[in-house]
Amino acid sequence: MDVEQALEKFHSLKLADINPGVASMPIVPEDADLMSVLKTLRTRHHVWVVRDKDSMELVGVIRYMDVIDVLLPPEAHKFRLGMTSRTMKSLLGGATKAGDVAERQVLTIDENDTVLDALTKMRKYKTQVLAIVEGEKLVGEVSLRILIDELLRLMRVGGAQWKQ
Amino acid sequence: MEAVTWLLFAIGVSLILAKIGDAIIERYELPGVLGELIMGMILGNLVYFGLVAPQYLPIVSGQGYTTDMTSIANFLAKLGIIFLLFLGALDTDIDQLKKTGVTATVSTVLGVFVPLIMGWFALMAMGYPSREAFAGGVLLTATSIGLTVRVMMDLGVLKSEVGAASLSASVMDDFLGIALVIFAVGTGSLFGLTLKIIAFFVITGVIWWFLVDYYIKFAERLHVEKGILGMALGMMFLFAALAEGWFAAAIEGAFMMGLTLSKLPEGKRLMDDVRAIGYGLLIPFFFVHTGAMLNLTVFENANALILAAVLTTIAVVGKILGRGFGAWITAWGRGRDFLFTRENAWMSLQMGIGSVPRTEVALVDLMVAIHGGAIPPSDAPAFIAATLIFITVSVLITPPLLKWAFRAEIEESKAARAAQKAERIQETKKRIKEIKEGR
Repeated sequence: MDVEQALEKFHSLKLADINPGVASMPIVPEDADLMSVLKTLRTRHHVWVVRDKDSMELVGVIRYMDVIDVLLPPEAHKFRLGMTSRTMKSLLGGATKAGDVAERQVLTIDENDTVLDALTKMRKYKTQVLAIVEGEKLVGEVSLRILIDELLRLMRVGGAQWKQ
Repeated sequence: MEAVTWLLFAIGVSLILAKIGDAIIERYELPGVLGELIMGMILGNLVYFGLVAPQYLPIVSGQGYTTDMTSIANFLAKLGIIFLLFLGALDTDIDQLKKTGVTATVSTVLGVFVPLIMGWFALMAMGYPSREAFAGGVLLTATSIGLTVRVMMDLGVLKSEVGAASLSASVMDDFLGIALVIFAVGTGSLFGLTLKIIAFFVITGVIWWFLVDYYIKFAERLHVEKGILGMALGMMFLFAALAEGWFAAAIEGAFMMGLTLSKLPEGKRLMDDVRAIGYGLLIPFFFVHTGAMLNLTVFENANALILAAVLTTIAVVGKILGRGFGAWITAWGRGRDFLFTRENAWMSLQMGIGSVPRTEVALVDLMVAIHGGAIPPSDAPAFIAATLIFITVSVLITPPLLKWAFRAEIEESKAARAAQKAERIQETKKRIKEIKEGR
């Protein structure tokens, strides 16, 4: 399959078809130690934070870039109106658990939306990961890594070589 | 120099000096806003300092070059206030607000109303009309928690019961401080004003709460560059216009729009863009403009100094008493037996001291009160001077007061660290001894 064909097919794919499922997703409970979260972030671009592994109720997400706020000392943050939420994520400022640093308002997308919808949303909100939820329960994700893997798989399945 | 050229020059100078002032003051671990105000004060008083001839009166002071240009500078500063409040509300964690405990709630309410009432009555006793005195009281209501958080972090007590309660209280504190200014600037009968306030909060807080999601979804479908940001700002200005029309307080509209947007992840994602506009241009201009409005000749009049002394005293004492007493009567949720203990009194005092600093919201309330007519132009210079003085005093005295109030915790923490160090040294010595003995 050439690039054009692969992309056409790729854009129209339903997210449900490429959702890896929670088993392979980086997920921690909100009371997880922050150090264990940092260890996960050495190899992943984000970690989902849930109330607990049984309910899988989505609490928030910790993205790779959030680590900057976690590692900076409190004095490096500005304590001004409209900036306090970042400050509270500092490790030296007292953040100890995953729930302390998670971004609680998580961008979500419907499982029946297409890859094109996901890409459009990612560009609009400058994010590389979206949660797939059923009610408040985390059931999957779509990330740039997953999308790249899927495009490459499509091209392999079509027998075409990546020519760039 | 042409008026437009002069305005552009003044904005440029204001922004550069604001950021330099901010950086200098932050080095001393004080709120950067103080640096911006000082830079504004210098710019606004260049003639007073003999640095500039009177014909070059700086336009940033609002005593400008031409009436049109002065109006533009004033309007830019007003936009700064609007963005400051919009951003503050957007950054709010509503879930956190819902979880505010009894101690934080009661202490916040008393911490707001005690200085308000003390200020109101003190100013009336000094001969100010009731409306103006009330506006003076409102200036004393909102705590700026930033400095307290920084000091508590440095002292390692932010995660203590007092630290957590102080943080919870700060959100509601800002909310009350911003809401109360409506009563200072609102005109007409109390009944009519109350009806308008209810209608305003029903429209912006209840109806819009349910509609905002659909509005953002609609904005998403427009597929234009920065479409969501533009649509959100557009609605924010409409709310601001409604609030300005009804109460002469545009900030209320901006605040409510920010608050409703803050519940949506899409709204939170706008923060970086709003921060860029706000802190890159409008907000520093507002602080410089406010500092420039301080006319140093006002201190030649004893009344301004007396007003400053009264407001500063009430700002400090009123907050410690109000917030502290509010925390004390709840006994920190530990029951009646804890009420008359030394620990309850001490924790409540710590809570009170943590609420002393004032910065942004006091300045916002001041400007709203002046532009809304609650503080007449003849008294504005004295109120500006008094507010800048109590802000400065409050941020300067808070760190040493907090260190004093938390000295026992600091000593405990030092002792624990020293014990850990001693233990590590002992362990190392023991291992060295074992190695030497060939074990």
